[in-house]
Amino acid sequence: MKRKYLGSDKRYILKSEKDWAAETHEYLPELCDQLHTAEINRRDFLRQACLLGMAAPVAYGLAGALTGRPFLPQAAAATPKKGGALRVSMRVQEMTDPATFSWTEPANVSRFMVEYLTRTQADNTTVPYLAESWEASDDLKHWVFKLRKGITWSNGDEFTSEDVAHNVNRWLDQDTGSSNLGLFGAMVEEFDTGKKKDGNPVMGKRGIAGAVEVIDKHTIKFNLRNPSLAMPENFYNYPAAIVHRGFGKDYKNDLSANPIGTGPFSLADFAIGEKAILKKTRDWWAGDFYLDEIQYFDHGEDTNAHVAALVSKQVDMIFRLPNQSIETIKRVPHLELHPVTTAQTAVMRFRTSEKPFDNKKLRQAVAACMDHDEILKVAFRGAGVIAENHHVSPIHPEYAKLPPLKRDVEKAKALLKEAGYANGIALEIANGDTEGPWMTDACAVFKQQCEPAGITVNINKMPTNQYWEVWDKAPWGYTAWTHRALGTMVLGLAYRKGVPWNECAYDNPAFDMALDEAEATLDVNERRKKIAVCQKIIQDDAIIPQPFWRTVYKASSKRVKGHNTHPTLYHQFQNVWLDDA
Amino acid sequence: MLRVIGTRLGVMVLIMLTVSVLLFVMNEGDPRLVARSVLGPYAQDEQLDAWVEQNGYDKPMAVRYLNWVGRIFAGDLGESIIYKQPVNNIFWKRLGNTGILAGITFAIMVVVSLALGVLAGMKEGSARDRFISFISIFTTSIPEYASAVILSGIFVFWLAWLPGTSAMSGGFNAVELVLPVAVLTLYGFGYVARMTRASMAEVMMSNYIRTAVLKGLPYWRVIMKHALRNALIAPFTVIMLQFNWLLSGVVVTEFAFGYKGFGALLLEAALRRDIFVIEACGIVAVFVAVGTQTIGDLVYTYLNPRIRFS
Repeated sequence: MKRKYLGSDKRYILKSEKDWAAETHEYLPELCDQLHTAEINRRDFLRQACLLGMAAPVAYGLAGALTGRPFLPQAAAATPKKGGALRVSMRVQEMTDPATFSWTEPANVSRFMVEYLTRTQADNTTVPYLAESWEASDDLKHWVFKLRKGITWSNGDEFTSEDVAHNVNRWLDQDTGSSNLGLFGAMVEEFDTGKKKDGNPVMGKRGIAGAVEVIDKHTIKFNLRNPSLAMPENFYNYPAAIVHRGFGKDYKNDLSANPIGTGPFSLADFAIGEKAILKKTRDWWAGDFYLDEIQYFDHGEDTNAHVAALVSKQVDMIFRLPNQSIETIKRVPHLELHPVTTAQTAVMRFRTSEKPFDNKKLRQAVAACMDHDEILKVAFRGAGVIAENHHVSPIHPEYAKLPPLKRDVEKAKALLKEAGYANGIALEIANGDTEGPWMTDACAVFKQQCEPAGITVNINKMPTNQYWEVWDKAPWGYTAWTHRALGTMVLGLAYRKGVPWNECAYDNPAFDMALDEAEATLDVNERRKKIAVCQKIIQDDAIIPQPFWRTVYKASSKRVKGHNTHPTLYHQFQNVWLDDA
Repeated sequence: MLRVIGTRLGVMVLIMLTVSVLLFVMNEGDPRLVARSVLGPYAQDEQLDAWVEQNGYDKPMAVRYLNWVGRIFAGDLGESIIYKQPVNNIFWKRLGNTGILAGITFAIMVVVSLALGVLAGMKEGSARDRFISFISIFTTSIPEYASAVILSGIFVFWLAWLPGTSAMSGGFNAVELVLPVAVLTLYGFGYVARMTRASMAEVMMSNYIRTAVLKGLPYWRVIMKHALRNALIAPFTVIMLQFNWLLSGVVVTEFAFGYKGFGALLLEAALRRDIFVIEACGIVAVFVAVGTQTIGDLVYTYLNPRIRFS
């Protein structure tokens, strides 16, 4: 393979550097070489190096040395001021059990009290957090996490491996109802519950024996059934906050009632639908946290009210900016706009177990009608990137470029005929505008695109929360999915057989096998080849016509400094400070 | 008169009972839907069945209805699914907030609309009458959601004089009430003003007013002492109807300004199927509607002796 070199002054890697990297993981020297020869970019290097257990500052330093471009964290570029209260407009929802969170908002409130083992940063790299380092076995089936020492819970208890074990075991217990059960599928097995339904045995899911192994007070090991690449990144999924070992055991599993955490903030006031006030009550084990207070105010369902609150300086930041308000924000001098490219999307997913969507030809016919670019332009003002019906984003490191999809009405007609609907068919898509009215617009554009093929699409527009009641039951629905750092993560969450969020009821052993292989492959170039198989299978099975990937906008006051918008809209305020504090 | 009051109260109770049956059947008719609402979309069938059994939802609907009515009379409105606490804890606070908004709006609206209506009706067809009529029709024809956007555009985004939301996050703030009160008043005053104007114009054409004027009584005395009392009888019913509108019609305004009132609570409950909150809001809204109507009828009878109920 022809290698091209980055514009670096340094044209070689010292052997000592390679040996040093190899001490952390045997794959790291190869990774260094790939960065040096531009086979992977800097971001992929950082992600992989951190993922393999290299300390973040070391990884950033090494990347700087290899590319000749030193990294300067944004917060370090200015002098932060301590103190002040950051006011944010965001829905304040119930905040009982972090393991069962279905929304980012409650996790944003809780993340300043209960923290995560790892942290995926705004640049999509995952770095140590409560865990100070980790090591993976060569086959990626055993992961050892070393926890930081000296961290205490707000009730005075010491943070130990027992806390982590308690959390992971809760996630792997089906009765907890956590989506982490699917995310950590490599530690899960199916079992016969002994019950019968319609004459068939009812299968349940549980953690495999020995999945969680406490080595010592500050070391914990996870033993997997299959290799898993994304363990560190999975530990930053929003329902993966680490709660105290007594949570749900010694006291009720209600964080708002028992706000015990490792973070520096405590819950001073909390009223669902009104506000959540967090006050810094102790020093943070990780260093400075400039803000004294973080205040969340709920301004209701109407996003225009959130914008109005920001414009009239009632708040300093809003959770998410609706697209139609972008121009408004640009015209207000004291505000600034923060666009972020994300892997957030929405998929027009078919439930493959329901008629008529159990008919693959029909699904393919519908998918063939889609003009992705037109939907992006009309429904989302072009603020995004067209998708390819397989739910792996171009910003995912392992994304493989497949031949572009083109709208083909004649092919759709032929497929429809093969499917047994030569005279056309009327279908209904459920949509709850869960991420905004653009979802209805996208459905409306697609409805027009389907008509020439003889497919009549009826849009069943329903209230947002009503949609979330049927999102995994409606035969055809338009479901929004948030950003995740790796393509394998979202595929494992949504399309592996039997996982809780498999809204398509997708059951394809070939896909599961291909995904298992991709998840077991560390080398990003090799993994790309394997994920391409997954992408192709999903695309061919036509289970998710997916119009586009969204660019997400956030807006804040210019008094807010040191803030990077996270692609998942997770709030990371550890470097945030107020200019007038 | 006692018989009239008794009949009216009897009708009121009958309407309340009918509405309560409808509310109960719509919200709690299907026990599994109730369980689904409480336990959430991820609950398994076995969990739903267990919840139905544990909470007595396997009993006949008539029994459940009577239990529900009994609980309401005992002051138990159930537990909110969204807020995870007794409906009583949030409901009355929200109702109070709407009471503040509606009360201020009502006070301003009644004074403004009666004054303008009387001024317009005193001289039908005059320039003043036409101007007031135009303003009344113009503002009433703009729905609340539109005037909320227009007023916000002017006073929040352009002039930056007023806060954009009215969530009262930092405690009660009268300034935050300016925009919602303005929106409600603008929409509501025109109707009452038009009714008052029509009534006033009719009274001003009557013989006894002409006689009073011809007898040489001062014009303002004729208006204040003779015309006004009779002219206000017809608008009274309309004013009573405004109570009902202010309670249930504030949904849009509360939504637009993030005001934490009864309307916003009802909307949120409906969107998220928080059935016990929906039931509480429904019962109270109907009670206020029927109650104000009954009071309106009775007072109207008192004010206008020509009206008799058989």
